[in-house]
Amino acid sequence: MVHDRRADVPHLLQEHGGLHPDAVRAVSRATGVAQAEVYGVGSFFHLLNEPGVQLRVCTGLSCRLRGADEVIEKAIAAGIQTRACSCLAACDLPVAVLRGRTMLHGVDGHAMDSAGTDVNGIAAPAVVPGHIGPTDRGEEDFGIGLHLPQQPAGAMLARAQTMGPAAIIDEIKTSGLQGRGGAGFPAFFKWRAVNGNDSSVKYVVLNADEGEPGTFKDREVLLRRPDLVLEGLAIAAWTVGAQDIYCYLRGEFDGPKAALQAAIAKAGDAYGDLTFHLHDGQGAYICGEETALIEALEGKQGKPRNKPPYPTDKGLWQKPTLVHNVETIACVPGIIRSGGQWFADLGRTGPGSKLYALSGHVAQPGTYELPLGVSLDELVAHAGGYIGELKAFCPGGASAGFLPAHERTRPLDFKALREVDTFLGSAGVVVLNESVDMAWAARELLAFFEAETCGQCAPCRIGTRMLRVKADQWLTARGGGGENDALGLVDDIAWEMFEGSICGLGHAAAAPLTSAMKYFPEEFGA
Amino acid sequence: MSNDNQGNEAGTPKLKLDGVQHAIQPGESVLALAKRTGTYIPSLCDDPRLDSVGACRTCLVEVEGGGRLTPSCKLEATDGLVVRTDTERVGRHRKTLMAMYLADLPDDVPGEELQLAAQFAGAPTDWEKLEPDRASRPGDTNPYIDFAAELCIACGRCTRYCDEVEGVSAITLADRGAKVTVSTDHAISLLDSTCELCGGCVDVCPTGAMREKPPLSSAPMLARGAAPKLDRVRTTCNYCGVGCQMDLRVDPAGNDGRGKVVRVDSPPPGTKPNDGNLCVKGRFATEFIDHEDRLKQPMIRGIDGRFRGASWDEAIKYAVAGLKGVQDRHGHDGLGFISSSRCTGEENYLVQKLARAAFYTNNVHQCAAT
Repeated sequence: MVHDRRADVPHLLQEHGGLHPDAVRAVSRATGVAQAEVYGVGSFFHLLNEPGVQLRVCTGLSCRLRGADEVIEKAIAAGIQTRACSCLAACDLPVAVLRGRTMLHGVDGHAMDSAGTDVNGIAAPAVVPGHIGPTDRGEEDFGIGLHLPQQPAGAMLARAQTMGPAAIIDEIKTSGLQGRGGAGFPAFFKWRAVNGNDSSVKYVVLNADEGEPGTFKDREVLLRRPDLVLEGLAIAAWTVGAQDIYCYLRGEFDGPKAALQAAIAKAGDAYGDLTFHLHDGQGAYICGEETALIEALEGKQGKPRNKPPYPTDKGLWQKPTLVHNVETIACVPGIIRSGGQWFADLGRTGPGSKLYALSGHVAQPGTYELPLGVSLDELVAHAGGYIGELKAFCPGGASAGFLPAHERTRPLDFKALREVDTFLGSAGVVVLNESVDMAWAARELLAFFEAETCGQCAPCRIGTRMLRVKADQWLTARGGGGENDALGLVDDIAWEMFEGSICGLGHAAAAPLTSAMKYFPEEFGA
Repeated sequence: MSNDNQGNEAGTPKLKLDGVQHAIQPGESVLALAKRTGTYIPSLCDDPRLDSVGACRTCLVEVEGGGRLTPSCKLEATDGLVVRTDTERVGRHRKTLMAMYLADLPDDVPGEELQLAAQFAGAPTDWEKLEPDRASRPGDTNPYIDFAAELCIACGRCTRYCDEVEGVSAITLADRGAKVTVSTDHAISLLDSTCELCGGCVDVCPTGAMREKPPLSSAPMLARGAAPKLDRVRTTCNYCGVGCQMDLRVDPAGNDGRGKVVRVDSPPPGTKPNDGNLCVKGRFATEFIDHEDRLKQPMIRGIDGRFRGASWDEAIKYAVAGLKGVQDRHGHDGLGFISSSRCTGEENYLVQKLARAAFYTNNVHQCAAT
């Protein structure tokens, strides 16, 4: 199905080298979209709005702890056009950088020294699959099985087709599969809603815009098991009645995109008349929010929509749309193969096995597939143990804020974490030892949200900036000996962000500061 | 059918707003219902002529059985809905939100709508100010419209008006986060864009960020709401035949007490025939009223090529003599009368009457006649 040419605006701008006047005119002429609107789209996305930038250096917590600042300093000193950027989903392989549209990892001072002034001389490998575990069992022990060989395309789709949509949805329900992108919403609910809609046009969308700081497990699934992603998408599309599948990959995911393309080519015509459309993100964490992602697919700025209506009702081009995270959809073929109950039984305190992306102060950062509900101590045991003394950890990415060391035995699942006002989210687990200043860590995460807020609504647009400014003021005044009341309004601002923001980014963005203040009051002068 | 004690018929769809039952008009939002029934819900990004976007968050209300506060501009009024705006939660939200808006703006915000919303909410005005990070467009030499980014709250009313009402999409919300501002393509001047200088963006701006530039001839910049001493005179624009209604804002002390028109405001949306919309001529081209070169009497050009003043009588006689002279030399059809669709229907009637009945020619036309 051909859609209006507005959807072409982002990639045409990319092809014309990013945001500059000639590009805007050319894209406007080619698509029929007004020049100002084309400019607006280009200005929103950071991989488009500064065409001269050569190198972006990740400043996520794990990369900062491993020397991102030094990499930036050396790059700038060498005359390379450099920018700090938000988490590149390579926290297990720090320091990650983006050169043009290619991700490199393990970059350090030496790599920058040997590059000299030539950005192309940075001696660091492209991002390859990171460490995973455990790898000592077979497919019946894992919902996904990152270490296992790829399966031929179409086998589980054929099995699903003999079951029929109602039975498939029933197995998904029994499995208890919850969204693994951050929201934890029961998957079957969305399948049933889209399946039950009588629209003749429906869509399935893959959310591969992994951007939650601390998270890189979707990258691993795409690099290692793209077969499961395609098979899951095909099963979903057949079940709900869609023929077009849109795969939105963040623009920094050159490696995962290549892996997915290879899998599509290898699948041949195993998926019949299903069409996979690959769409490159252009640099905006907010496009991980499903309605912002849909807006970006439609060729617009990635600004979230008010819900209701929900995408299952009115989604891509206002049609019923099933949106799924990479890990979630990759669990589907296993459920078709061995049943929903099998998947549920893999879990401990909740259904299913779960990918945990672990980084920070642990011996072996990586992606670990374990029963849902393991504790931090168990997770870290798989990763070779702690480096230093555990002080704090993010249980689920930046949006989940911090928990203190004494929560190390709490199950990391969708329920138990809610009891302490946080959540599993994307399961991007970042471990911090006693060397970390919690006020500094909180400020880093506030700066992330400030850089990534779309700006549509005041609680978040103003709130994220206010909180970061106040954290900076507090840090500057700290140790000055006098009154430091910079954080006096945090409670009110955080409350309004939680109540008044349109989307989850605004709802969560204060959490790093409020949780740090709650669990480490002594570090905030209380 | 029996009526309940608020005069609503049994069986019609109704909702409860702050404890009071109201009948619902089909398709209206809770915000529209509130406006219609006299409950003030502040809103900054909404406009009856535009699609609702729920972006400014000012109109959030509490819905019984709901979770988070909901934007009333996007909430459809449905039978049985119970909505409250008078709860502590809504009160805290309004107060805090408006305090955040004010902290992100300079001290003196000319826009009445924002001032009213902030006062209604009881918002503290003493929060430390954020330094704005939004780009203006200082080199834009267009004569009428100025954009002061430090006053912008990114409500998008101006850009949506430009898209949905004027249909030219000359401006957009550009950039991301705290940098979001209103911009043209690469900050080109409005004169180089598709902008038609209709001034709708100025009319809808709730803060005064979009504002008129000082008139070429005189007068300090008058921001919206900044001159309560101006009189408001509803009149009909005389630039063309549509008959748009507009409000002249008159300084009663100007022109030595005779009154001086200093600006034009839109009448409210819904005012017929133009729904509050104006064009560049009606909205901005008012300087002719007091211009020193404005003709105050008929002028006749003499043999020496210079104009001299004449009476109406003299002028009409002179014109008639000239026209009849053409007919004497070339016959009745030597004359043709061209009028304009920008004249009113009545004026066009008179022109053709003049042509046919007074000058005995059927040579009369105007651009809308085909």
